[in-house]
Order: sequence, then structure tokens, then C-alpha cells
Amino acid sequence: MNPIVVKSLKKYFKEKGKTIKAVDNVSFSVKKGEIFGLLGPNGAGKSTTINILTGLLSRDSGSIQILGYEPEENWDYVKNKVNVSTAYYPVTEVLTVKQNLKVYGHLYNVKNLKARINELLSQFELNKISNRKVIKCSTGERTRISLCKGLINNPEVLFLDESTSGLDPDIAEKTRTLIKEYQEKNNTTILFTSHYMYEVEELCKRIAFMSDGKILTIGTSDELKKLIKDQTIEIKVIKNHKDLKKLLKDEGVDILFTEKNTIIFQVTKGSNKTYEILNKIFKAGFKLSHLHINKPTLDDIFIKIARKK
Amino acid sequence: MKLNRIWAMLLKFWYITINRPDRIFDIIYWPVIDLFVWGFASVFIQQVSDVSFLSMFLGGIVLWIFVWRSSQDIAVYVLEDFWGRNLYHQFSSPITLTEHMFSVMLFAFFRSICTFVVLTILAFIMYRFFIFSIAPFIFIAASIAILSLFGWAMGLFVTSLVLRFGQRIQVLAWSSVWIVQPFSCVFYPLSALPTWAVPVAKVLPTTYVFEGLRAIINGNLVNISSLLYSLVLTLIFLVLTSFLIRIAFKHAKSSGLLARGD
Ligand SMILES: Nc1ncnc2c1ncn2[C@@H]1O[C@H](COP(=O)(O)OP(=O)(O)OP(=O)(O)O)[C@@H](O)[C@H]1O
Ligand SMILES: [Mg+2]
Repeated sequence: MNPIVVKSLKKYFKEKGKTIKAVDNVSFSVKKGEIFGLLGPNGAGKSTTINILTGLLSRDSGSIQILGYEPEENWDYVKNKVNVSTAYYPVTEVLTVKQNLKVYGHLYNVKNLKARINELLSQFELNKISNRKVIKCSTGERTRISLCKGLINNPEVLFLDESTSGLDPDIAEKTRTLIKEYQEKNNTTILFTSHYMYEVEELCKRIAFMSDGKILTIGTSDELKKLIKDQTIEIKVIKNHKDLKKLLKDEGVDILFTEKNTIIFQVTKGSNKTYEILNKIFKAGFKLSHLHINKPTLDDIFIKIARKK
Repeated sequence: MKLNRIWAMLLKFWYITINRPDRIFDIIYWPVIDLFVWGFASVFIQQVSDVSFLSMFLGGIVLWIFVWRSSQDIAVYVLEDFWGRNLYHQFSSPITLTEHMFSVMLFAFFRSICTFVVLTILAFIMYRFFIFSIAPFIFIAASIAILSLFGWAMGLFVTSLVLRFGQRIQVLAWSSVWIVQPFSCVFYPLSALPTWAVPVAKVLPTTYVFEGLRAIINGNLVNISSLLYSLVLTLIFLVLTSFLIRIAFKHAKSSGLLARGD
């Protein structure tokens, strides 16, 4: 049984007579112990999906199951074993860090609360500011406080909605390590959204691309990268630079950049075409001093999908 | 309802109160001002009349606390979560609406009692007025119960409106209780109201409490049936507003207000 199952989920908002299809017939499931990434441009419907799963938002139609239950059947059971963290909404700002964790600890009925709070505070390096009011904490500190809150009950299912935004690279790296360690130790199921592609690539087993409320594709990052056939090739020739340019033009590739002996061009039909062209270049006797093939990154895919809108 | 969650909420409200001096201050500020102004006014009127103004006015002020505090605190402690954009974490946790509202009510009651104690002591020091010596304990206790319950109903009503329409109507949190006060006959008898206002007054449970208080001060016995009638009215208000807040909460879940909190 998968801990998160979403089937044909729909949520439309009405605003000034207009219908916004925030989530439009979305289906996916997340396996036990998997970190599953939801990626997509601003307004794709990622947060809306998570808000429905955490019970903050009602859905128009479709079904969801968390830990084997339709949450409405048994919110009490489900919510005690689930948690959410986001950099966007602070925990109670007029309370100190420790006061917040105490309140949430009681809300989630955490056993050995004191020990749990101390453990989290030192894991997230918040000991020094544990008695500071959240309103006085920096963005990065708040983000970590929100993560502590998200882990307070040792959740079986964790929703992370851009929970690392605002962190400096050092802390971000540490935080990712913490999330990973925690996940491996407890076999937690995590649904994750982020705008940092390397983070998604590092953490997530599978990724779903969302745009305009729909899931366009689901796969591992390697599988997704294969979807993009564009490759950018950078070469430097020792001489006869103009002849090479002519050869490339005859092959019908996009030349992006030329300068002195350097040519950068793009092949849009996948790696076979690339090898075919390179073969021709070698056979024609050009001597290369530099060759670099750029494979597509998740960023490229992201940008491509976002621009298609 | 789970005790750990009620406890968590009470803890939260307690922390908010001790972290924010204005929240301690407002337990006493306006009530004490009222006590001064109305107290001295009634001492003055008392000198030129043979009606027991002092007892009526001060009794009214001290008991009105329960309506005021209950209704305002409920709305304000819910608004606090709006201002702090905290509904997100609050309502993704296991707490239910009922538990949340029940905890706010309990805490509001606790604050009412604090104000009540302070005022009772001050009124005694300043005017030798002691609320428990003008009416039987049972009447005061029943009044406190009815007025608090009615305050809760008002608080639920305002909270429903805030959940439905968002923060832009938050001014109601402070003002709603003062719309009800003139019709509740806190300081004057029902007979003093203009005829158009009488039906409104008669629907409000508060009217019967303050009418009862004046009757006792004038030497009559406690009118049990009128208190019971008032209690029934209060319960009707509570049931209606509980229903209303459920609808408003459902709307907030559907419109996205809970998730965004603004
Ligand atoms: N409460 C609401 N009322 C009206 N429209 C809403 C509401 N919440 C979200 N939307 C709209 O629904 C769409 C999806 O929003 P959502 O917040 O889910 O996007 P997202 O993928 O999380 O984007 P981002 O990457 O910017 O966080 C957006 O067009 C947004 O404007
Ligand atoms: Mg979002």
C-alpha cells in the first residue's frame, strides 16, 4: 500500500467570475520511503496539491489516500503521523522558538517532548536562539524552525513545500543532509517541492512535472532528461574555421556562437545526430583542440516546460 | 476532543499573553477606566436620588466584563493566527475546529475571571461596593455562566464572519459587543428603551440578567424562571453560532483562506 495516493484530483478556484484550474485531474502515488518531487513553474498547482493533502483545502473531486485512509475518514489518525514544513508560513511569531516547539509537540502528542526538542534544536543548530521570538529570527532561521516543527512528531509522511528556500548554501547543504539522513533512518515518505533543481536531483527518486494544474510527466531525473533531445556542442578547431562553419551549415544545425576558432552549435535530434555530425567533421580532416558536449539539465527541462505555456 | 491538544492551545495562548505586555494590560485597562468614570458618576447621582445607582451601575460594569471579554478574546485570539499567518500550521496539525474554539473559550473565561477579580477588589476599595453582598451568590454565578456563554456565542459569530470574509472585517472583533450593550439594558431598565428597541432587548439573554440584578437590588427575590428563559435563549444563540462557524470554516477550507491566511 502506497502512503500517498492521489487520483483524479481537481481543485478550481473562482475569482471575479474567472475559473482558475489550480489542480486539474492530477493522479500520482508515492511509495513507502520515497522522496517524490513535484516540480513546475510558479502557479503550477504544487502548493494547492499539498494543501489538499494536509487538510487545509477541500477538493472539488477526486480521491486521496494517506497511509491507507481517506483522510476525512480518520483525520485524527492521519494527521498525527503526518507533518508539513514550508518556508512561507512561519510558526507563531510572537512565541519563542522553544515555546513554538512545545506547543506543536503537545498538539502532535509527542512522547519525551523535552528530549525531542533538544535533539531537533541541536540538529538544526538552533540552540543559541531557542529563546528568541520567531519574529526576530532571520529568514534562514525561520526556515529551520519550520523544519523542526515539521519533524517534531517523527512523521511517517512529510510534506515539504519549498521548505529550504532562503537558506544560505552551507546551511542548505546541511539541511539536505539532515533531511536525507532522517529519511533513510526512518524510511519516511516525503512529498517535496522546490525551485532548486540540483536539490531536487539530489534528493528525489522520482519527479513529477506539473504545469497549469496538470502533471505532464513522471520519472526519474535521468528519464526526464532523455525527454529533451537538445545537445549543445562546443568545438575549437586548429585551422580552417570557415570551412567547418560551412559544413555545419550544410548539415542544417543551429550555430549559436562563433568566435575565432570556437564554434558552439545545437543539435535538436538527440545524440545519434550528434555522433553523425562529429563523424563527418573528423572524416573531413578537421583537427580539434577542444570538444565539449553539454547534456540537458533539469533546469533545461524546467525552462522548456515553463516556456511552453 | 483530546486533552493534549486543548492543553497545547492553552499553552499557546498563555505564551502569547506573557510575551505581549499589551495582552496583560488589556485585562484591566478599559474595565478600570469604566470603573472610575461610572463609579464616580454614580456616587454623584446617588447623592441627589434615592435609587441605588451605585449598586446598579457597578454591578452592571462588573458583570458586563464576562460578555465583553469572552466575545472579544475569542475573536482576537483567532485573529492573532491570521496576523501571524499561522492558520497554516495550526490547521494542518491534528487539532479540530471544536477543540480550537473550546480552548479559546476556556482561555477567554480565564481572562474574564482575572478582570472580574481585579474589578471586584478595586470596587470594594474605592466605593465599598462588593458584588456578592448585593445579590445571592447563586444569582451571580448563574449570571456569570449566562453572560460568558452569550459572549462565546458573540465571539463565534464574529469569528465566523472573519473566516468568511477575511481580515478586512476585523474591526467587528472590537465593536460588536458595543452594539449589543445598549439593547442589553445594562445600566437602565427595559422600560427606559424606546418601543422599537424593546423586541430586540427581549431576544437578548443579557437583558434578563441585568433586569434581574436590578430587581434584586430593589429588594425582590431571584426570578428563577426568567433566568432559565435567559439560559435557553443563550443556548439557542450558541447552537446557531456553532452552526455558523462550521459553515464559515468549510468555506475557508474551500476558498483557500486557511492555507493562505489573508
Ligand atoms: N486561494 C486561492 N484563490 C484563488 N486562486 C488561487 C488560490 N490559491 C491558489 N490559487 C491559484 O491557483 C494556481 C496554483 O497555485 P499554487 O499555489 O498551487 O502554485 P504553485 O505551483 O505552488 O506555485 P509556486 O511555485 O509559485 O509556489 C495559481 O494560479 C494561483 O494563483
Ligand atoms: Mg507553491
